[in-house]
Amino acid sequence: MRIVIGEGSCGIAAGAHKVYEAIEKLGIKPDVTGCIGMCFLEPIVDIYGENGELVRRLVRVTAGDAEKIVTAVKNGELSLLDSITISADDSAFLEKQTRIALRNCGVIDPTDIDAYISRGGYSALGKVLKMTPEQVIDEIKISGLAGRGGAGFPTWFKWNAARQSVSDTKYLICNADEGDPGAFMDRAVIESDPHNLIEGMLIGAYAIGAKEAVVYVRAEYPLAIVRLEEAIRQAEEKGYLGENILGSGFSCHMRIKAGAGAFVCGEETALIESLEGKRGMPRLKPPFPAQRGYNDEPSNINNVETFANVAWIINNGGEAFAAMGTENSKGTKVFALTGKIRRGGLVEVPMGMTIRDIIYDIGGGIRGDRECKAVQLGGPSGGCIPSDKFDTLIDYKELAATGAIMGSGGMVVMDDTTCMVGMAKFFLDFTAKESCGKCVHCRIGTKRLLEILDRITKGEGKDGDIELLEELCVAVKDGALCGLGQTAPNPVLSTIRYFRDEYEAHINEKRCPTCECADLVTYYIEAEKCKGCTLCSKKCPVSAISGDVKQPHIIDMDKCIKCGQCKSVCRFDAVFVR
Amino acid sequence: MEMIKIKINSKECVGQKGQTILDIAKANGIEIPTLCHHESVKLYGACGICLVEGENMPKLMRACSTVASDGMVLYTDSERVKKVRAVALELLMSDHEGDCKGPCTLNCPAGTDCQGYVKQIALGNDREAVKIIKDKLPLPASIGRVCPHPCETACRRTKVEEPISIAYLKYFAADRVLADNPYIPQPEKSSGKSVAIIGGGPAGLTAAYFLALKGHAVKIYDTMPKMGGMLRYGIPEYRLPKKVLDAEIAEIASVGVEMINNVKIGADITLAQLREENCAVLVAIGAWKNTGLRCKGEELDGVMGGIEFLRHVALGEDAKIGNKVAVVGGGNTAMDACRTAVRLGAEKVYVIYRRTRDEMPAEKIEISEAMEEGVEFKFLTNPAEIIDENGKVTSVKLQVMELGEPDASGRRSPVAVEGKFETLEVDNVICAIGQKVNVAGFEEIELNRWGIISADEKYFTTSLEGVFAVGDATNKGASIAIDAIGEANKAASVIDGYLNGMDTPYVAPVLSKREPEDSYFEQFEKAERIKMPVRPAEERKHDFKEINLGFEEEKARAEAARCLECGCHDYADCKLIRYADRYRVDTCKLAGEKHQCFTEKRLEVIERDQGKCILCNLCVRACREDAKQGILGLVGRGFGTVIRPEFNKPETIHVCADCHKCVDVCPTGALKLLK
Repeated sequence: MRIVIGEGSCGIAAGAHKVYEAIEKLGIKPDVTGCIGMCFLEPIVDIYGENGELVRRLVRVTAGDAEKIVTAVKNGELSLLDSITISADDSAFLEKQTRIALRNCGVIDPTDIDAYISRGGYSALGKVLKMTPEQVIDEIKISGLAGRGGAGFPTWFKWNAARQSVSDTKYLICNADEGDPGAFMDRAVIESDPHNLIEGMLIGAYAIGAKEAVVYVRAEYPLAIVRLEEAIRQAEEKGYLGENILGSGFSCHMRIKAGAGAFVCGEETALIESLEGKRGMPRLKPPFPAQRGYNDEPSNINNVETFANVAWIINNGGEAFAAMGTENSKGTKVFALTGKIRRGGLVEVPMGMTIRDIIYDIGGGIRGDRECKAVQLGGPSGGCIPSDKFDTLIDYKELAATGAIMGSGGMVVMDDTTCMVGMAKFFLDFTAKESCGKCVHCRIGTKRLLEILDRITKGEGKDGDIELLEELCVAVKDGALCGLGQTAPNPVLSTIRYFRDEYEAHINEKRCPTCECADLVTYYIEAEKCKGCTLCSKKCPVSAISGDVKQPHIIDMDKCIKCGQCKSVCRFDAVFVR
Repeated sequence: MEMIKIKINSKECVGQKGQTILDIAKANGIEIPTLCHHESVKLYGACGICLVEGENMPKLMRACSTVASDGMVLYTDSERVKKVRAVALELLMSDHEGDCKGPCTLNCPAGTDCQGYVKQIALGNDREAVKIIKDKLPLPASIGRVCPHPCETACRRTKVEEPISIAYLKYFAADRVLADNPYIPQPEKSSGKSVAIIGGGPAGLTAAYFLALKGHAVKIYDTMPKMGGMLRYGIPEYRLPKKVLDAEIAEIASVGVEMINNVKIGADITLAQLREENCAVLVAIGAWKNTGLRCKGEELDGVMGGIEFLRHVALGEDAKIGNKVAVVGGGNTAMDACRTAVRLGAEKVYVIYRRTRDEMPAEKIEISEAMEEGVEFKFLTNPAEIIDENGKVTSVKLQVMELGEPDASGRRSPVAVEGKFETLEVDNVICAIGQKVNVAGFEEIELNRWGIISADEKYFTTSLEGVFAVGDATNKGASIAIDAIGEANKAASVIDGYLNGMDTPYVAPVLSKREPEDSYFEQFEKAERIKMPVRPAEERKHDFKEINLGFEEEKARAEAARCLECGCHDYADCKLIRYADRYRVDTCKLAGEKHQCFTEKRLEVIERDQGKCILCNLCVRACREDAKQGILGLVGRGFGTVIRPEFNKPETIHVCADCHKCVDVCPTGALKLLK
């Protein structure tokens, strides 16, 4: 039997490497894999049988479980591990998924090229090198693959445009500057299956005729960079990368560029500027990168997840990919399911699934059985979809019709305790900070939107603020130069569209319906319920709570900073917010 | 060269293939505004002002960078385009820290460019100064002497020590130019249109001047023997020598204004006749009737109105005053009256005023000079009754007052102290407590509820077609000369539009304003305001010769150099404010936090005012692409982005001194060449 520990960044953060060390110390050297996507169960330890089949999946494992695991594996007594084995219910998380981009994640050792090869890796590259570039582009066209970074632009079209551009030097660039808050699928692919990315990129490079490929990776993804560097080295060693690949005469070199730490560098023209060593600011389009991109040469830029589908498409045929999904959206999409969801993590589903299926069947519904209010799709560029629209299909067009977008796949689930004005403010705060400062509508417009939202959440909203927000949002969308600015107003517009009543309550009644806006709420202790346990008074960071032991306590409103500590520690439900 | 055809705002435009929308529009005479575009540098696309809408195109396009394609149908003035441009401008204005115009100009009812002419005086260019003044008012030597100078009231130099002596500097320059080589602009060619102006006071003269310059045939009709109105008949010689006024009136006449005196409307000629004979009529008849005292005895022989008294003196008539004269009132007319009485030889002159010195509306200098000349002020008194013997005034009974609660205007209102009176022996009571309009001859025109001509505030129109009205005779009644001049200037432009068949109301320009913190003023070294030298009281009180001796040149130049230059040096060329005005943006609508605002002189020859920077990046690009230097760069992100020089090396400063390409391309006043 083989012990395999999931060591993606998330697993490591949850303590996976401590588990690894503890098991290793007991005499069994575990194998390592990447991220399976079940964040809510990390650290995860898989036990594989002699025939390579998964026999047990252990979850929320601690170093303290090491002895038990080693004993069970040594003696073949897996029942010892029942208490830490994944439940049937939680297993549903994976069962309802269809994994293409993530097919090797959490399955193979990402640091070992042979593990990738043993799963059919680099066979697509071999195939492609025997095809003409046009045939490759055709296959991608048949698949219907569209850009997974957010825009959803047909991949074949971009490849073809770059192919058609005449130049001796062309570049293939992978955008791995994943920046949407809450989205981490690209990181998972690089950390858990780097060769899949390399292979996809090589196929793209062959198709457009690029001899140089660059991966622009967030500098905040150190593990991804390390694993990708190692993968590139191994691929070069095996002859998949470099001069005369597999004897085909096709040469391609690959290098990594660590990102500049700015969200806007995920915008393709800003990314190019950054690659060129300039300040990351979007350029005017046209010329499009396919015409004049990096170093003024034809360049093609795709996102990590897009490339992660390519080898599969070549191996299984474009039609097999196109068989999944809807008329407008083919294949699968990875979502980073977060927020008030019971089972959060990375999920890959076929296009055409409903939002409801993702939230309830895969995600297991809302934490604490609260009522689901909405999901935010597409992060700061996206919009929210209220629960009564959860039958909307995962489809570029259908999602756009709701005012949200597919985006890069961030899916933040909100329950009835989430203030929608506060949520819009959160995203605007993000975009306002991440605006590059170039264009007027984005630089000052997002700032003003944020200021108005801030005012509203502080109870200083004025009559006409909603209309002012709407007017400003429309102008910012119309006037901003790049995608960041053009989509920044979306969270505001969609929350106004579906939750106008919450805005009105803040503005007209100076009331936050969810009691989330600190400036608009007051904390009270209900005397009948308070047992005088003094816990709240001990926890209060500003000593605003007083009262004798076994006597009802009271909160001094002048001192209270509305942090909510008292409410969260009270065991008698005596603290309430109004 | 392949040609393409596109449609812009329904106009067929031809351009070359590969040209941008902006270039084709420009070549076809259609202006598309831009702030970040300049021919000398590469395309950038930041400002979002050049956006245009295309038919069947969901997204707006940046005209500066979008290459036109054959058959495009574009709109540069659709509602969507106007909105997105207006919002961009509102956003920029909300983040703009600067004064388009100085507080002096803003507070001048005529909008005179005080900072502009004060600077020219400081530089020794008096003629240039007069040219600037005459752009707004054609009587600088006269007005400089008599104006209560609201400009100085607003002057920010007050926060350092004292305001600039703007009014006196004006007459300093005007006198010199008048004596040396008068500045008289050339009128435009004849329009064939005629305008009758009724009233030759400051308003009538001003309107006549500007209308004549526009090429219209202008005649002023005035009931008095000479032109000048209240400047001649209300202001005593010792403040405004009539030869100065005569010279300025002669200048106005020399631009083609015909002046007809001794004509009384309704008697010698009717308003209807003037309307018949002219394309437009401007009524600027002033307010020449005294407001009565409303106390017993006001009808007695020896009681007269202040302006009536001053008029008699000005006309050289016998003012018939005795040895003891009481003047009632606390305004400038009261001061003129009491000081005139002193000069006529009255032994005892009193001013009766119901409040205290602090509340007096008269100029402070007028009060102190009157005191120096021996006028006795009876503060906190009010005439209760004028007492006579055989119909001749002998004394005035004064009700003693005290100050009560502040009224709506914030001034404490006088309250009678019950039963407390005093008596003053006098031969005359001159009542200078207000003026009314005499509308005789103008009965056809609709009046407001105070019996004053009602004129539109933007069009200056009255109830009669083609009849306009300005000045003391309208709306809020009597005010200061510069107020009437301001209205007359604006009305002249409206009337000019009217004569050309255009609807051109007066609209206040959109402006950026700021309110500097007190700490801002700490950087300025104190420099005392120069006092106007005057003749000693003992000497001057016996004659009507001018009191002021005028500034010595050196002192005037130094005084002018005290100006803080609050207004933007680039107002005339600023594209931002021009567009903000064109789109009538509300500069306060999107008010919020402003970016870091500071001025810096690291480039030595160039001053950078970050408060006025709109981050169009033209300076950075010009420096890098055109000057091949790269001295400037963007720093920070998002709203906090600013432009800073990269280094401060001596050699770069040397380069900057010879180059200043950045200053040339800056669309606002953010960059200023110091040398």
